[in-house]
Amino acid sequence: MTALDLALRVPLADFELDVALATDARCIGLFGPSGAGKTSILEAIAGWRDVAHGHVKVGERTLLDTTASIAVPLRARGVGYVPQDTLLFPHWSVRRNIECAQASEPEFTKRVVAALLLGPLLARMPQTLSGGEKRRVALARALCAGPRILLLDEPLAALDRGLRARVLSDILRVRAEFDVQLVLVSHDPTEIITACDEVFVVDSGRITARGAPVAVLRARASLAESLENVIVGHVTAIDGRTAQVEVAPEIVIHAVATDVALERRVWLGLDAEDVLVADSAPKRISARNVLPAVITEIDEDDCGRVRIAARLGAKEGAPTLSADLTRAAADELALARGRAVHLVFKASSCHVVARES
Amino acid sequence: MSASVLQILWTTLVVAGGATLIAAPLGIALGFLLARRRFVGKSLVETIVALPLILPPTAIGYMLLALFARSGPLGEHALGFDLDVLFTARAACLAAAVVALPLIARTARTAFEEVDPRLESMGQSLGLSRRRTLVEITLPLARRGLAAAVVLGFGRALGEFGATVIVAGNIPGRTQTLALAIFEGIQLGDDARVRTLVFLTLLVAFALIFVVERLSGARHGRRA
Repeated sequence: MTALDLALRVPLADFELDVALATDARCIGLFGPSGAGKTSILEAIAGWRDVAHGHVKVGERTLLDTTASIAVPLRARGVGYVPQDTLLFPHWSVRRNIECAQASEPEFTKRVVAALLLGPLLARMPQTLSGGEKRRVALARALCAGPRILLLDEPLAALDRGLRARVLSDILRVRAEFDVQLVLVSHDPTEIITACDEVFVVDSGRITARGAPVAVLRARASLAESLENVIVGHVTAIDGRTAQVEVAPEIVIHAVATDVALERRVWLGLDAEDVLVADSAPKRISARNVLPAVITEIDEDDCGRVRIAARLGAKEGAPTLSADLTRAAADELALARGRAVHLVFKASSCHVVARES
Repeated sequence: MSASVLQILWTTLVVAGGATLIAAPLGIALGFLLARRRFVGKSLVETIVALPLILPPTAIGYMLLALFARSGPLGEHALGFDLDVLFTARAACLAAAVVALPLIARTARTAFEEVDPRLESMGQSLGLSRRRTLVEITLPLARRGLAAAVVLGFGRALGEFGATVIVAGNIPGRTQTLALAIFEGIQLGDDARVRTLVFLTLLVAFALIFVVERLSGARHGRRA
């Protein structure tokens, strides 16, 4: 049985949204630039937007079929929606916001509140919450309505780096702990790769590509526009707040992490700007990570920024990291393909996100 | 302050209060309809609702008079019994209600339009019925604007003159409101009485505008 099956034709201001997709994936990503029609797809699934022609099926249930004149009312759709601006009810406390969706048992609500660490926030009003806290509350509220499918629109947009890692971790926890299909909208490849099983690329109202996130998104990006660093690994040691993550045989990255356990499979995220390039290993340096690498790609953008991709270690197939540097720095180091360098970065620059599988 | 002045003040408050009770539910419902629903003839309804703002109150009074006259559509001949509205406090309430209705409806419409309709969609997506969404989300979020609409309507009813004098007359102790009494005092040259009545009117108007400004300020996040 297909988990999500939809075909939609929706007239929008600048173009007509015309998409069709069917997937069994537990978490699908809708990836594309702003204004591509991603949010309109979510709103059509939720029933918030008029659909000129098409159908929406979640599991065996038809929510919309224009040819059969079926349009299940919003309240009976079983669709949880977390819009970008969260739409928390401003006149209700966090507790009331979460409990207004009375579909779930009190025990389930408690479980959601515990999973998303919302206990201390329950008495607060939405206006007093930070951006990240609002996203968590909106996520909890949508979950407590007992949806079969949960739509998340740019859940990490406009959050600072620390909050992004936190909210992404919440989404992965929801994915792991609750039996609900996720649809995640983002124009950030890292989010899609980290959270989703399948991605659909949306551009100007059409689906232009689909497939495994890493394959689809890497194939579409030139190196200069490519992904920030995302590497999978597992935790081999924990020393206080620092975890050692083995990303390939004998290649260990030190990362500050508070929410991981030994042997846990994790994603490591690292901004290319946080990676320094040295022509030899610095002898005394505070950064915890000094990794030998071999440059595999060099690209330069119009602004004079050089991005290199460097494979960690000597073995083919080892993970690569990207690093950004200026043209002058690249010239001074005489960087070229095949050149051996050392990549240097701090443990605190790494974002660690636990992954359940 | 003489007993007759107090009587005039009382009649004024009763008429304005009665008019508000009639016009407020209707005006709020119309405001919601115009703000949230698409229907055939919406422009026509908008125009009809706005008409009393433009029409001279005397014209409104004449139309009400024709409506409730013995031979009118709601008169004794048509209904078979006398509604006994004309030249009573009920007629004064009705006239003031008609004049206050567009003000209430337009202010209520703005109040509803200021509530993000996506919050209502969210309520329904979370399983709330349309009625619960209206009662628990839309009305509470629009409450300050709606309260301002009601107070403005009350204020408009308080000052009503033209329509009232035609359908309710100017009967001391029964239909004579502050506006009518001031007019009568000026005609009789009773300056002392007129000054007292105008002072009273000023006091009531000041209090009303103060309340509306407070509500409006709170609605837009200003601190008084």
